[in-house]
Amino acid sequence: MELVINGKKQELDAETIQDVINHFGLTGKPVVVEADGAVLTAAQWASANVRPHMQIELVHFVGGG
Amino acid sequence: MNQDLLRIGNRELSSRFFIGTGLFPNPFVQKEAIKASGAQVLTFAVRRINLESTEDDSILQHVQHEDFIYLPNTSGARTAEEAVRIARLARASGLSDWIKVEISANERTLLPDPIETLKATEVLVKEGFTVLPYITDDPIMCKRLEETGAAAVMPGAAPIGTGLGILNSYHLSLIVEEANVPIIVDAGLGSVSDVAQAMELGVSAVLMNTPVAKARNPVGMAQAMRMGIEAGRLAYLSGRIEKKRYASASSGYDAFKLM
Repeated sequence: MELVINGKKQELDAETIQDVINHFGLTGKPVVVEADGAVLTAAQWASANVRPHMQIELVHFVGGG
Repeated sequence: MNQDLLRIGNRELSSRFFIGTGLFPNPFVQKEAIKASGAQVLTFAVRRINLESTEDDSILQHVQHEDFIYLPNTSGARTAEEAVRIARLARASGLSDWIKVEISANERTLLPDPIETLKATEVLVKEGFTVLPYITDDPIMCKRLEETGAAAVMPGAAPIGTGLGILNSYHLSLIVEEANVPIIVDAGLGSVSDVAQAMELGVSAVLMNTPVAKARNPVGMAQAMRMGIEAGRLAYLSGRIEKKRYASASSGYDAFKLM
């Protein structure tokens, strides 16, 4: 289905947020997810279903002051 | 000095050096510089993952979490709302509930927007974050942030990354005098003498990134800064002499002069 991930439209075969994480090879990495404005902790990913055109943000920590 | 601990939120720190993790030439130098700094608090930024590159560019792969307190910042936010959003994302990592509120309204100066900073601090304190706002060196504004529930207040010495040093030591000393929470000088410091001066003014800690990361030898500079912080702190606790206009001899014994 079509999702908007980090501002870009992506056609993805995914049912849950966990599928999205797996798709990008981010399993086990310190990633934070926001789906349609709601922050999801890692424990919620497997039970959080995606829906068409969902706005998903995948973020992490980078160097900064 | 062993008992001279810095208390922020529910944590006690023996180091008064908060170090940023940006701009280092490579992860190895960064790791060594952090070690040399003795810092217990590390700052980070929150950004989108680059989905085009599968390479792991997360900063966290290079540091051992259990050794440090993480202080993510809200850089990139232009409003209180954006800062709150970034803070919630940072906390969802499960790594920290500390947040450095950083809201810049002007790209050239990166100076903080005080109104938005106050609003964001208010919201985040209510949500249970340990909030450390970065703010201009305005004594009234710093007080307002303290009253709003900030765990520490972080006035800038000068704009971020400029290395201009303390532009208004009068304001900074007033801020320290008035404060009931730790004051941490964040941004604008350039040299060890700047850092020692800040500590001599009585601030509780300093936060630096650029002056270490962009030094010719970041590891050496991290150690030098650490020593400057310790020297400045001990000098502050020990009490400097008053300044006098005219000389006064060190030897005394006027009655026993030869001539």
